[in-house]
Amino acid sequence: MNIVGMDVGSTTVKAVAVDDKGEVVWRDYQRHNTKQAEKVHEFLLRMEAECGLTRERDLIFFTGSGAGLTAPMVGAKTIQEVVAVAAAVEKFHPEVHFVSEIGGEDMKTIFFVDSGSGKAKQVYMQSACSGGTGTFIEKTARKLQIPADQLAIMPYEGMSLHKVSSKCGIFAEADSNSLLKSGVPVEEIIASLFEAVVYQNLATLTKGNTPAPQVLLLGGPNMFFKGLQEAWRHHLKNVWADRGIELPEGADVADMILVPDEALYYAALGCVEIGKGEADGVGVYLGPDRVKWWVDEGQHLEKAKEGGKALVNGTGDLESFASAYAAPKSCNGVAEGRKIDGPVYIGCDFGSTTAKAVVLSPDREMLYTAYVQSKGNPIEDAKALFRDIRAGGVKHVAGLALTGYGKDLLQDIIGADLGVVETVAHARSAMEIFPDADVICDVGGTDVKIMILRQGTVADFRLNSQCSSGNGAFLQGVAERYDVKLEEYAEKAFEAKAMPSLAMGCGVFLQSDIVNQQRKGWSAEEIMASLAAVLPLNVWIYAGQLQNLRSVGRRFVLQGGTHRNMAVVKAQVDFIKNKVPDAEIVIHPHSGEAGAIGAALCAMEAADGVAPSGFRGFDVIEHLNYRSTTSEDTICKWCPVNCKRAFIDVELEGAKGRSWSKIPLEEGWERVISGNSCPKGLVEDVNEMKAVKAEMEEQRRVYPNIGEMVREKAFRRAWAPT
Amino acid sequence: MAKWFARKPSAAPGPRPDLEARAKLRIGIPKLLNVWTTHQFWLGFFGALGVPNNRVVFSGDTSEEQAREFGRGRGTVDCCYPVKCGAGHYGELVFGQKRKIDILFSPMIYSLSSFLQGHVADSLACPRVMAGPENIKAGFLKERDVFAENGIRYVSPLVSLAEPAIVPKQLYEALKDVIPGLSYKETRAAVDEGYRTLKGFNTEMRARSREILEWCARENRPCVMVLARPYHMDAGIGHEIEVDLQAYGYPILWMQYFPIDDDLMQWIFGPDMAAGHIKSPFDIDDVWPSSYSANTNEILWGAKVAARVPWITCAIRLTSYECGMDQPTFTPVQQIIERSHTLFFSFQELDSTKPAGSVKIRVETISFYMQQSSERIIEQKQAVTPPGCPLLPQAESKLATAKAELAASA
Repeated sequence: MNIVGMDVGSTTVKAVAVDDKGEVVWRDYQRHNTKQAEKVHEFLLRMEAECGLTRERDLIFFTGSGAGLTAPMVGAKTIQEVVAVAAAVEKFHPEVHFVSEIGGEDMKTIFFVDSGSGKAKQVYMQSACSGGTGTFIEKTARKLQIPADQLAIMPYEGMSLHKVSSKCGIFAEADSNSLLKSGVPVEEIIASLFEAVVYQNLATLTKGNTPAPQVLLLGGPNMFFKGLQEAWRHHLKNVWADRGIELPEGADVADMILVPDEALYYAALGCVEIGKGEADGVGVYLGPDRVKWWVDEGQHLEKAKEGGKALVNGTGDLESFASAYAAPKSCNGVAEGRKIDGPVYIGCDFGSTTAKAVVLSPDREMLYTAYVQSKGNPIEDAKALFRDIRAGGVKHVAGLALTGYGKDLLQDIIGADLGVVETVAHARSAMEIFPDADVICDVGGTDVKIMILRQGTVADFRLNSQCSSGNGAFLQGVAERYDVKLEEYAEKAFEAKAMPSLAMGCGVFLQSDIVNQQRKGWSAEEIMASLAAVLPLNVWIYAGQLQNLRSVGRRFVLQGGTHRNMAVVKAQVDFIKNKVPDAEIVIHPHSGEAGAIGAALCAMEAADGVAPSGFRGFDVIEHLNYRSTTSEDTICKWCPVNCKRAFIDVELEGAKGRSWSKIPLEEGWERVISGNSCPKGLVEDVNEMKAVKAEMEEQRRVYPNIGEMVREKAFRRAWAPT
Repeated sequence: MAKWFARKPSAAPGPRPDLEARAKLRIGIPKLLNVWTTHQFWLGFFGALGVPNNRVVFSGDTSEEQAREFGRGRGTVDCCYPVKCGAGHYGELVFGQKRKIDILFSPMIYSLSSFLQGHVADSLACPRVMAGPENIKAGFLKERDVFAENGIRYVSPLVSLAEPAIVPKQLYEALKDVIPGLSYKETRAAVDEGYRTLKGFNTEMRARSREILEWCARENRPCVMVLARPYHMDAGIGHEIEVDLQAYGYPILWMQYFPIDDDLMQWIFGPDMAAGHIKSPFDIDDVWPSSYSANTNEILWGAKVAARVPWITCAIRLTSYECGMDQPTFTPVQQIIERSHTLFFSFQELDSTKPAGSVKIRVETISFYMQQSSERIIEQKQAVTPPGCPLLPQAESKLATAKAELAASA
């Protein structure tokens, strides 16, 4: 009699067959490329032919994330993965105290603690997010075009490490891209990924337990990536030294960390071990016929059953939607039929990739919009933007406000009357088109912002830039994969008569879920429709953490680049109306310029009609004299990324200069820092920090804070009457 | 025998080797949870027992570095970050002291001596916070007794600070074996001293708050009131969000230390009492009938105060990730404050990392609206408050003059 253990994982299928004597008579490991059932069927046929697997006689046990579907079809009993792995470890490695198994889309740790009567097990597992899993590494490696065999031998030891997001695979990919662009070698990026994976495993899956020797590393990534093994050795060595864990006489750290040859088969072997102890009649093999049926027919029936709904329910639905929500357009240049004469109000939005400006007449008509792609030098960007505005015919500037990332840098230099924080600018512009708006939902390419308004103010603000779920980036990625232009996305998605349902959550897993659905026979437009349909869930619930949409209000403004896609808008409208039946939803007509419009409106409101604008004038901006310095001294030292910044020094009347700087600046000059990848880099170095701190100290003295007094006084000495 | 005779008569009570030993003790107290509102009680208490203040060591502010260096891998399964960060505090006291501590004292504070006590149903601590030390200590005892290995006695008594009569017993039982020569009588006196010290400190902080309010009233300037649990004063828990706002030029009050002088209370709550809504200024029955939790009660009371004082034009609410005690208070606190036209902003789900980017944007946002609307808010609120504000120096004299004039004309 044979006992078969089959591990149907998220990316691979592994199986072993053991005979009466306990010898392994058959084993294999293969990627299934999302065709789980097909691969299971193939393995069963091969086992029947190659090692005599016989129905009604032999026993079969399944484990793994894909076991639930196929196990009942062959008569197999399903065994929980961690239980299976633990059973195998206990049999083969009684001396092991810690196991890490990293899979394609999950990670697990098992602690074995010696107790009086044997061993107690403590198990932790994570499968909701890509951080710390095999996909996390492979996704970036694919992007960097590293072949699998090369990835396997890339080292960790001796490499300089860089900061890579350990939490989200999509951001890790983005971090890797920017590292690559700044000239970091591929080897160092991969080593940093190994670091991130081990860090994530230790940070989230140890929970107070010490991973004591011996340690067993299991699963594909741990087995195949030499660098990952090195990263484990490095970290475990430190943990053991910290905790004063002594290794046996003469043993080396490496001896205590085992990566067995059968590392891939432990779950399958564990199934066999558990199967041996099962009662008679449990797990009797029924043959591969039903799996065959599923592959040929069943899964397609499933598709038909699932696909009851679509993004559009009949033509009437689309028509009423289309008439209610026209596609927002972005405009550039003079708005039709409007002349620019007389005083105007200008709002500029200096973002990290673009700079935009909007020109409003005193009666709030939009007269002109300008747009430039950022070249990385804010002064040049400002010059280009104002050149454009001037060319548009603007002569008399009555008020000017800036918003966006560059507002603090450029306010003095351009002579803006106001710097307006992004949220206020967006809220102001939204209230212009929708005076009683309750919520603004801004979905951009790489982040999701939700602003909740009350009493005419931004009362709450949710920013998600830590997790890629819900933003427009993967929508774009999928459209690219299908070779569909983003502008045609909606049209395609609306054609779908049905669509699969995708699971909300991690964007990386969503991508593999898509492959899975595709395989079931769903077409490109159907999948594109479903992707649009899942976006609101990701935006509001997964990323925005707003379980109860009603509680934030009933008047919604949708804006941001991703809402140019009407398929997304349709999904948003349906989702919001389902949760808030009396919701009113407006698409911001000038979505991309919302920030600039808000700034212009703020400038208009701040102007009292008496004091002239502080705007320095087109000529002054055009002829701004500046010098740019990039040297060892301009490199940002706040974190290990070490951005190569540029100090752009601008000649400006009345500027204070920077006498304390390593690159001193005389009076009459103002410094602008660019090339930093995060706001911290806007502070030059410790010297500037000191100058800033001194200013803050003074501010604190004038405006006291009771909390600070408590922090200072409460813990020093007992109060005594004075 | 010879020693007896050699003694000078002036040293009649006899040498107290136990007192000498106490003066050499080092006691470490993790600066977490409700220690943030009872700090001075412990300094006063141990001081009275003969342990000098400079030998009572509090751990530092919570920080990710602290957690990494001293608490790594000892974290316990708890989604309450103010509890979870305790591993770093314990670790700092055990491993991070130049001079080793002898006792790690981490009280499980069951109830608190709140200024609302007697006006509310009860003054209990959050049960999760109370039991926090039990949870944290597990990370140090799970595999080996880390305290014993480092020569430290771990003392973690249950303390019912809202019931002063039983506190001496609780502390005596917990400390009699670790403080040399400790007697019950001494403990009782030391507890009294603890209460006295805490009260003195609180009174002083309230006086400082009053100074701020008087300045605001005189200059007609806005200030900010923070509504939070006491441990949000910890720079690693509250992330000093209010400090960022202070930098924009707004004085910051914390509800815990709002002045409770009679004249002010009468001015703020007089109309409510006259209308029969509440029985005393410290009664919160009109907005929060289930008044069991000390910190929660104070937050609700603080909201009422913030809504009524004209110069508090903005209230900031800080709450930690998934705080079950705070959840039901979100809506009432927000509504109490917003109905008075006061600006209200809440920072929820605070956790280990300061979401610096988002906080910066939000603080700038708040500052913008405060600058834009404070003047209007002060006017609106002043229009509905009674005359004779005791924060204004001239009010009293004006009132006196008016009365005198009235009397003269009669």
